[in-house]
Amino acid sequence: MVQVWTALFTIVLGIFAAVSWFWGANFCLDRLLPARTGDPVRNARNIHRAGLIRPWLFLGPAILALGLYLVYPVWESLFLSFHGKSGREFVGAANYRWLFADPGFRESIINNFLWLLVVPAASTFLGLLAAALTDRIAWGNLAKSLIFMPMAISFVGAAVIWKFVYDYRSGDDAQIGILNALVTWFGGDPQAWIALPFWNNFFLMAILVWIQTGFAMVILSAALRGIPEETIEAAVLDGANGIQIFFRIMVPQIWGTIAVVWTTITITVLKVFDIVLAMTNGQWKSNVLANLMFDWMFRGGGDFGRGAAIAIVIMALVTPIMIWNIRNARAEMEGR
Amino acid sequence: MKKLLAGTALFALLAGGAPAQDLKFAPGEDARFNWQSFTDFSEKYNLDGQSLTIFGPWRGEDQVLVESMLAYFTAATGVKVNYSSSENYEQQIVIDTQAGSPPDIAVLPQPGLIADLASKGLLAPLGDETTAWLRDNYAAGDSWVGLGTYKGKDGTPALYAFPYKIDVKSLVWYVPENFEDAGYEVPQTMEELKALTEQIVADGGTPWCIGLGSGGATGWPATDWVEDMMLRTQAPDVYDKWVTNELPFNDPAVVGAIDEFGWFARNDAFVDGGAAAVATTDFRDSPKGLFASPPKCYMHHQASFIPSFFPEGTKLGRDADFFYMPAYAGKDLGKPVLGAGTLAMITKDSEAARAFIEWLKTPIAHEVWMAQSGFLTPLKSVNVEAYGNDALKKQGEILLNATTFRFDGSDLMPGKIGAGAFWTGMVDYAGGKPAADVAAQIQKEWDAIK
Amino acid sequence: MANNPYRWAVHLSVVLFVVLWTLPTFGLFVTSFRDKDQIAVSGWWTALGSATRNDMFRAPAGEGEVEEGGRFTLTGSVFAGAGGHVKAFGISSKAPDAFAAGESADLGDGESLTVAQDGTFTLAGPESFKDRRGQRIFFTATTPPAFTLDNYRAVLFAEGLGRSFLNSATVAIPSTVIPILIAAFAAYALSWMQFPGRALLVAAIVGLLVVPLQMSLIPLLRIYNAAGQALGFDPKSYIGIWLAHTGFGLPLAIYLLRNYMVGLPKEIMESARVDGATDFQIFTRIVLPLSFPALASFAIFQFLWTWNDLLVALVFLGPQDDKLVLTGRLVNLLGSRGGDWEILAASAFVSIAVPILVFFALQKYLVRGLLAGSVK
Repeated sequence: MVQVWTALFTIVLGIFAAVSWFWGANFCLDRLLPARTGDPVRNARNIHRAGLIRPWLFLGPAILALGLYLVYPVWESLFLSFHGKSGREFVGAANYRWLFADPGFRESIINNFLWLLVVPAASTFLGLLAAALTDRIAWGNLAKSLIFMPMAISFVGAAVIWKFVYDYRSGDDAQIGILNALVTWFGGDPQAWIALPFWNNFFLMAILVWIQTGFAMVILSAALRGIPEETIEAAVLDGANGIQIFFRIMVPQIWGTIAVVWTTITITVLKVFDIVLAMTNGQWKSNVLANLMFDWMFRGGGDFGRGAAIAIVIMALVTPIMIWNIRNARAEMEGR
Repeated sequence: MKKLLAGTALFALLAGGAPAQDLKFAPGEDARFNWQSFTDFSEKYNLDGQSLTIFGPWRGEDQVLVESMLAYFTAATGVKVNYSSSENYEQQIVIDTQAGSPPDIAVLPQPGLIADLASKGLLAPLGDETTAWLRDNYAAGDSWVGLGTYKGKDGTPALYAFPYKIDVKSLVWYVPENFEDAGYEVPQTMEELKALTEQIVADGGTPWCIGLGSGGATGWPATDWVEDMMLRTQAPDVYDKWVTNELPFNDPAVVGAIDEFGWFARNDAFVDGGAAAVATTDFRDSPKGLFASPPKCYMHHQASFIPSFFPEGTKLGRDADFFYMPAYAGKDLGKPVLGAGTLAMITKDSEAARAFIEWLKTPIAHEVWMAQSGFLTPLKSVNVEAYGNDALKKQGEILLNATTFRFDGSDLMPGKIGAGAFWTGMVDYAGGKPAADVAAQIQKEWDAIK
Repeated sequence: MANNPYRWAVHLSVVLFVVLWTLPTFGLFVTSFRDKDQIAVSGWWTALGSATRNDMFRAPAGEGEVEEGGRFTLTGSVFAGAGGHVKAFGISSKAPDAFAAGESADLGDGESLTVAQDGTFTLAGPESFKDRRGQRIFFTATTPPAFTLDNYRAVLFAEGLGRSFLNSATVAIPSTVIPILIAAFAAYALSWMQFPGRALLVAAIVGLLVVPLQMSLIPLLRIYNAAGQALGFDPKSYIGIWLAHTGFGLPLAIYLLRNYMVGLPKEIMESARVDGATDFQIFTRIVLPLSFPALASFAIFQFLWTWNDLLVALVFLGPQDDKLVLTGRLVNLLGSRGGDWEILAASAFVSIAVPILVFFALQKYLVRGLLAGSVK
């Protein structure tokens, strides 16, 4: 029972601390630079000054946390990537030279590009489809929860689930993987799906699409609900059918959210490694960058220099998405 | 949220408090145990109030076993022991030692990883006295000293790890009654084993179940095969040179051993499911073929842990048994045995940690685990009568009769090779890539990390 | 939108979608109720109907035998408890279906074995069956579906599960609420406040989304340890893991929330500002309530990640028994070699229960269409 109370107490304490900071900081700012002093000049000056400070009050905790938990490790990685195995001796660009000559790296980066092409597109499209369809039917909420379920299952669980899909037994034995059972039922030959070079990439991608569709669906469904009813009603009055309304009226209005979902899944793909690790560990030519990095970081004591170099490459790959987002943000600001 | 918290409270009530760990065998009662060593140790050490954190690879049932042994250490010294493990213990230990919050004692099965930790100066040397003790008290003591000795941060070799608990790997599992039904005899030589393999095929059966699948570690069962074949085709010193890469991986001796494995695994008629199934069949599912009706295979090569994946209720000795993976009669290489094991090391020095290493030198620390299951020891002073079952005793005999004992080579190699390139290479080999190409590829990756 | 074929098409597509998406999970669900030895030899779908399977039963070694006139007979059923129909049986692994049900098999030495269709076997012979290996009886039988709760029993009554459940809740709840609070303020600033470097900051947050978690662990734990040593606290504490989850979850939280807040109608903010509301008031009274769907959807995801996380918990909280989270406890049940499918299956469903409850609880906020209503 003590554990329950300690847990409850710590939970309340943690949340209280976070709330009190925001409230307290704003209260102090309003006290120090009051907007209603009776002196109009001072009022204006105070409002202006508070306006300069307040964004940073709002952003403060976020910047602090991001700086410590993400920016600092990135610096550390950058530093490590120019150092040797144990992270002590400086080796210049040796890790990067090694990386670009390594066939394992080339294989991983090609596979990663395949993943980047397929998974975000497929997940976003299917998620949008699921969101649009389930919004129209009475049992939509139930359907949503079922499609969402893969997202909620722990990773260990997901790996077993797909073992029972892709498992391979030779022709005469009873199949225990449902995919091969279906193939043999239709008269085909069973295949060792995850051991087929090149194609196995797609079987692994299917797992991530299966998981991420739920994510896309939830976010896009919230966005679809946000579309003002009037625009749709107007289209209905104009005699548009469901599909026309969806593509011409609804999709353009949630274009921003689609882009966000796409970006997020793209980044998830760059980081994906547990699926590959659990299903093939990159064997049968199915390696991806994040798994390669994990391998160099931790296996048998690891080589932090090379692991960090791969991490830097992964982070560099996101640059185009960053640039695109800067331009978007600028456009928004100008439009205001 | 309210509902959720109510749920947690209910769970807490269900779980209740864990009872204090009792001693499995009451001290002084069972004459098989060396209780003298227990009382001596307990008189020598009084460390009440101190505590010790141990991080090891044992989980599930194994965790219950190790904790039953640790209870005696606590009873003898008063040290409160906190044992823990995790699925990715390898990663966990790297992170914890690097970041400066290691456990007091780490127990690891991979010498390759230990070598890395030692070279970074993260382990405390165990001292010359322990080196001498191992040499004198462990059977084939020198090879154990060699296994525990690594180069430190300054490059001087010293004993950093204490071998405790070993597994025998050179075992072939079979169902005795299936052999009787078909009239087969347990082969005594590799020639006989190969003849039996062909005989079974001639009789319309399938001799072997081989599965290399293991999720992220797919391929490792094949490395055991290759190491066993290496010891049966080459002298032990060739094996030693191979694991340190003095002998390149693509040397004909190694390629030959790989092809010896291929003789069994790459023949569609010899393996259940055909050669194509070898790489993808999970090693945990693979032995189940022995017990199918009619049997899917007659033999399965695997280490001593595998009975935990046999069907429920399987009784060793009656429903399943094992024989020593025989050696070639035509090659004068004696009876080599391949094994693996775990080594304990001090990751944070303290009085209690030192006492724990001393504890591992007492016979009682070995006997209480021996008397249960899954534990073999090279300690000469233990009473072999204490082995909990016949299977263990028989494995103990295989160990004693060994003319050569060698540690699992893939564990001795650097992690990138022994737990990486070697696995991948074996998967490629099982998929049909020629042995020479596979070996050359592994050597290339070995060169890349030098 | 009311025409019938169209509605049918929608219903059918959703049905197809749901079936495709749940089939793999359903397979695991069925597996979690199956007998350990069946899982690796037959597909989970075979468990749903009666199936023909080949099996082996070992007769007891003499227990329950009856002696009558110098002849010993031993009877029993090859189906231990369950029912079924025997088609054929055998006495050797070489010919497991040599005899049809009801026939008598000669075992030599005057011994015989009969297995009836209902599974009753009769072993008879001139000598006692004691002190021998029990006779192996191979049989081919059709058995009805059989399910077991043993797997769940093994998982639910594992020692320390309750405590781990609590630990997971202690980790996950603040790790969900704190980042949402911090991110909501930051997202508001990034979407509705004017200050230099705003676009750059947004881009930096997108860039930080991609930082691989594994890279951060060692440097961060090092800081924790150094701080813990200097200030004399335990570096592996709940506060430490909350902050870690907060840091790792923030980029996505800010990115998603900012995207949502940017889309809120400008007119509302402007009219509020004209009425003399401060930014803090606009945020707490207008933006926050309007952003509820976005907050709820992020809360769901963040909760899932922290609940299902194992790596961060092991590194920042530790694997000790009193701090082990649920995922860690379930994984440790699997044993050193990590693989009993039946335990894996059952534990996957034990750990999914809470995230699904959270999803159901928050789902109503996702679909309420707060914004659509308030714009008018």
